[in-house]
Amino acid sequence: MIWQFDLLILALGVLCALASISLKDLLSAAIVFGAYSFLMCLLWTEMGAVDVAFTEAAVGAGVSTVFFLAAVYHTNRAVKPRRRGRLLHKLVGLVTAACIGLLLLSATADFPTWADPNSPASVYLSPFYITETIPQTAVPNIVTAVLADFRGFDTMFETSVIFVAGLAVLAILGSYGRRQRDYEPSPTGQDAAHQSSIVQTACRVFVPFMQLFALYVVAHGHHSPGGGFQGGVILGASFILVAISYDLRVMQRRLRERLAMLFAGLGVLIYAGIGALCLVLGANFLDYSILHTILPATSPIMARSHGMLGVEIGVAFTVMAIMVIIYVNVASHGKSDRGL
Amino acid sequence: MDNFFIAGGVILLVLMLLTLYRAIIGPTAIDRLMAVNVIGTKTTVLLIIIGMLFNWVEMFVDIALAYALLNFIVTIATSRYFQHHKNLCPIGFGIRHRKEGARK
Amino acid sequence: MIDIIVMILFGIGLFSFFSTTVGILRFPDFYSRMHAAGKGDVFSSVVMLLGLVIYHFHHPSLDGVLVAIKILMISLFIFLASPTATHAIISAGFNSGVVPWAKPKPEEDKQ
Repeated sequence: MIWQFDLLILALGVLCALASISLKDLLSAAIVFGAYSFLMCLLWTEMGAVDVAFTEAAVGAGVSTVFFLAAVYHTNRAVKPRRRGRLLHKLVGLVTAACIGLLLLSATADFPTWADPNSPASVYLSPFYITETIPQTAVPNIVTAVLADFRGFDTMFETSVIFVAGLAVLAILGSYGRRQRDYEPSPTGQDAAHQSSIVQTACRVFVPFMQLFALYVVAHGHHSPGGGFQGGVILGASFILVAISYDLRVMQRRLRERLAMLFAGLGVLIYAGIGALCLVLGANFLDYSILHTILPATSPIMARSHGMLGVEIGVAFTVMAIMVIIYVNVASHGKSDRGL
Repeated sequence: MDNFFIAGGVILLVLMLLTLYRAIIGPTAIDRLMAVNVIGTKTTVLLIIIGMLFNWVEMFVDIALAYALLNFIVTIATSRYFQHHKNLCPIGFGIRHRKEGARK
Repeated sequence: MIDIIVMILFGIGLFSFFSTTVGILRFPDFYSRMHAAGKGDVFSSVVMLLGLVIYHFHHPSLDGVLVAIKILMISLFIFLASPTATHAIISAGFNSGVVPWAKPKPEEDKQ
């Protein structure tokens, strides 16, 4: 918590946000919004929340900006100019926003101060997690232990929410694409959009290392910031890199949309399946300690650690597949032939 | 040495502020892309500096690597957009609306 | 001794970042700004990361070697990827028809 950095990063973040909403060009607004996500990641790192910062860097700064770009690519780029004489509307909006903001701010007067040692969270919750994580689960990363074990039910529904988001994109855009049966020839020659061979070669070299790094992040979620979610996003981003440096068809030859949907469902199945397996073996749902009866040569504590790893792998599958599916559908407007 | 790192970090953040000026003002959209790329690279260095200040670099190195990767991806994706839609920017696309084709 | 080397490398890196920013703000044209951004950026971050690697060897240990290798990998990635990104941006700008800045001609004398 270095106050000099805090002030400057916050000022930068506010400026980025203001710029992003006042730019009249949606493409530039999307780009500056990417910079805003970069700065949020920096802020969270500076506060010490490295897992959150990792997720924000991967999702907000990387993949989310690409989704915005793909959306702007298929729709309008200009913001509609405001008609004159809308002063009353602006005033009403300003007063409403100010009232709600003041209400919320007045609620923060009841919060305990930052890092107050006598707040309920610091008295009951934090000491429990800090002292009990390693004896009970043998996992040094407390955030991963809380996410995947102590609050594992929550994470399972987060994974299913991601799955449902992919389903929603598929349902809305995929069906639209399939209705348009007429084939548009792809532009060639001067109009064909292709990256130069420098970019193609560089991306071809980077993609395997990116995927290796993503798998490392998934596997090392127990000891360093990372875990299933961040690793899955970087894996998905590596496929998106293939798509934007070569072509959407090249990426689809490597990971078909149907296979991606299979992976997505498989991920949720792995998560819920491990929970159901614990039920079948006689313990509570998602109580991984009972897995020591089927895993060879583990104690109940190590079984919890291994259960967490299995669950994180499920999350990584789902997140990777959904990132790819959302990109393919948004970038190609549902038709999956050529995209951004 | 800590103070030196803090001073270095503050200078980096002030330079980011100046680059953000180019991201807001830059008359074409591609100027803004360039500014965001530079902000991303500065942030990668700043992440490692913060790690040194916390005396715990091992945690921050992975984030910095992921950051550099995703900065690269955003830049390549946006440049591909510009290869499809070659209309870089009508001059009127600033912070205020101007009529299309109006000269500055 | 290590401190002095780190300070020198940091100083070079910060000065280079500063010149990059001045270039981005003051150059008259997209291509020249991209020139400043592409080159200065890569050089500055590689030098600063090198300085941070050397600072890490204050307390040498086996873990420290791993972290130093990772930071060197980051700087290698920036060294390879940032010029590629610069090339992509400039070729996108060129294919979109950004006109290079030319020095304005002095007015002809009345003949």
